[in-house]
Amino acid sequence: MAERVFTWLDERLGLTAIYNTVLDRKVPKVNWWYTLGSASLFLFVIQAVTGMFLTVYYVPSPDHAYDSVQYIMNGVAFGWLIRGIHHWGASLMVLFVFIHMLRTFFFGAYKYPREVTWLTGVFLLLTTLGMGFTGYLLPWNQRAYWATTVGTEIPGTAPFIGSFIERILRGGTDLSAVTLARFFAVHIWFLPAIILLLIAVHMYLVIRLGISNIPKEGE
Amino acid sequence: MNEEQKKELIEKYKAEKAKGVKFWPDIIYKDLLVSFALFILLVGLAIFVGVANEPPADPSDSSYIPRPEWYFLFLFELLKYFPGQIEWIGTTVLPTIAVLALLLLPFYDRSPFRHWRKRRLGVTIMSVVVVGMVALTIMAVATTPPAAEEEVVAATLPEQILLGEELYGVHCVECHGAEGEGGEITGVEGLEGVVLDPINARDVMYTFTDETLFNIIDYGQPDLGMPPFGLGYGGELRRGDIIAVVNFMRYTWDDRAELPQEVAQASAVPALAEGEVPSYEVHIQPMIKRYCVSCHRPGKKNNNYLMRDYNEIMTTGDHAPNVVAGDLGSNTIRMLHREEIEAGGPMPPTKALKPELILIWEKWIAGGAPNTAAEAAGLTLPAEFLPVEATPTAAP
Ligand code: HEC
Ligand code: HEC
Ligand code: HEM
Repeated sequence: MAERVFTWLDERLGLTAIYNTVLDRKVPKVNWWYTLGSASLFLFVIQAVTGMFLTVYYVPSPDHAYDSVQYIMNGVAFGWLIRGIHHWGASLMVLFVFIHMLRTFFFGAYKYPREVTWLTGVFLLLTTLGMGFTGYLLPWNQRAYWATTVGTEIPGTAPFIGSFIERILRGGTDLSAVTLARFFAVHIWFLPAIILLLIAVHMYLVIRLGISNIPKEGE
Repeated sequence: MNEEQKKELIEKYKAEKAKGVKFWPDIIYKDLLVSFALFILLVGLAIFVGVANEPPADPSDSSYIPRPEWYFLFLFELLKYFPGQIEWIGTTVLPTIAVLALLLLPFYDRSPFRHWRKRRLGVTIMSVVVVGMVALTIMAVATTPPAAEEEVVAATLPEQILLGEELYGVHCVECHGAEGEGGEITGVEGLEGVVLDPINARDVMYTFTDETLFNIIDYGQPDLGMPPFGLGYGGELRRGDIIAVVNFMRYTWDDRAELPQEVAQASAVPALAEGEVPSYEVHIQPMIKRYCVSCHRPGKKNNNYLMRDYNEIMTTGDHAPNVVAGDLGSNTIRMLHREEIEAGGPMPPTKALKPELILIWEKWIAGGAPNTAAEAAGLTLPAEFLPVEATPTAAP
């Protein structure tokens, strides 16, 4: 029976073809440094899942954000665990994406034919940092508030357009409910959507081009 | 790279692949192993380190030292080298150069060589940059002062209520009384003789929302004599403190809200066993926090009698000593019994302590006014406080 279901599905979905191109392929023998990319992917998935649980109770308004986080920590069953994982996962993800970038740099993996993989990678690094920056404000505590105050002042010092950028980031002259609403939307919708798209292209290229071999002396 | 080099490279890569391993299961196995280890690490961090509790955002508290996430620290440190007029070089020019250098890397590094020996320049630059970033991060951590007075944050409701009770004891009792009962203000400069309505009454609790209470405490009622307590208005309470006070008021005075069990236990003066000598630490301190310290702290009218710790209670005051171990004629006892003596009027001025609380004071002083519970354990009460032995009557 299971077999018949499988053949039926395979005929329509092309499962065997996917298996052959994605899983059942030869790749050069590589070392542990090559696991950093998949580790980054894993951390992204963890962040997405724990983040979805957090949005169930989190309220993005200055009046309620802090209390809703307190509630997650004290009132929701295992809320503290979910938040703890999301909190530490954010740090680890930045760390792993960065080291993965260093790995591909030192192994010269960005060269022909993997230039576009590298390009999407750089954007992934930037968006990951963006996730860290926007997420930091959401608990609306002292640390969040003042770090973001200073953080949004930095682009504000750019010549000519600086104060304009600062106003866009803050949605006004000071941090306010608008800032929180913007950071929240960017953190849970805009950036994840962009990251998802970039990861899709990144993965397509990694599979299409194959993982680079460890460069040998003279290569 | 010309077409020939490309072809050669692809041939070589094909050969490498042929010598290589299967993606499934060889590579996937390693990937899963690392991911699993990461997951364990994350759960461990969440359980054993957790997330530090922070006080709520307080836009008026600009003394707070900003602390960005650790991976942005190097940028903050870097900016210190570009002060004032040239700040924009650090904030705009350098980051832009760095991002462009990364983005365009495959397009300006056209050499076909991938091994580091043939890319010494690039590898050196990247290494220096990374070492620099690590060094800047370490410097940033080393130079940021440790989190101000690592403040205790009340996270759970019971913790908040207890904190609120303590803050209420310090800041509000002198005018509103220990239970919010109001009455005629005595001993407060500028408001002497003003009569306050109770704030613990049902109609107050039912008509004032938490938000109204918060605002009244935050910026006071200047016209009526209620001083502002919020940092932003010249007071000394932070947002989190005011929330705690509001919660304390709501949960102790509003008959619709039920005081959590833990609070009721933690804030009550512990009961005494028969013949037990009370100690400052266990019995007297909670009472003082609640009924006396609001007036008996620096900057208030109190004959210089401060009551913030054991030493002060035993030694300070214009008519010191106010507590004499073993002497039930001590100023404090007489004033608690609402006598008018040389040291001043009845204490607390507005409303007498309950008799059972005064009895604890008497037992404490008669028993030797010990500081800690350990000291108290070695003392005995004088005979007049012990229960009269019932004379056994012979069975009929
Ligand atoms: C210096 C004396 C003083 C202190 C200290 C003080 N208050 Fe008041 N408070 C007043 C006066 C005076 C009023 C106005 C009374 C009135 O309107 O009947 C008032 C009014 C209030 C009211 C509104 C009562 C009403 O019926 O409108 C509340 C609530 C209140 N205070 C709470 C507090 C809390 C909480 C604290 C401690 C953080 C505090 N007060 C400390 C003097 C004080
Ligand atoms: C509303 C403010 C207020 C409260 C509450 C209060 N006191 Fe006082 N206390 C005073 C003032 C004011 C004096 C100065 C004498 C006077 O004016 O009566 C004083 C004086 C004293 C003195 C004499 C000090 C000296 O050396 O002259 C003692 C002892 C004392 N208080 C004990 C207490 C105790 C114990 C409590 C708590 C149960 C208490 N007080 C609560 C305002 C207060
Ligand atoms: C969310 C972030 C990222 C994810 C999920 C991700 C995922 C992956 C995965 C799974 C691989 C294949 C295995 C490996 O080489 O580790 C890979 C390869 C690669 N990645 Fe990323 N990556 C991310 C960010 C980046 C960044 C920031 C860069 C560089 C700026 C980058 C550049 C590359 C390159 C050049 C390859 C090909 C490596 C080779 O063929 O040897 N990636 N990525």
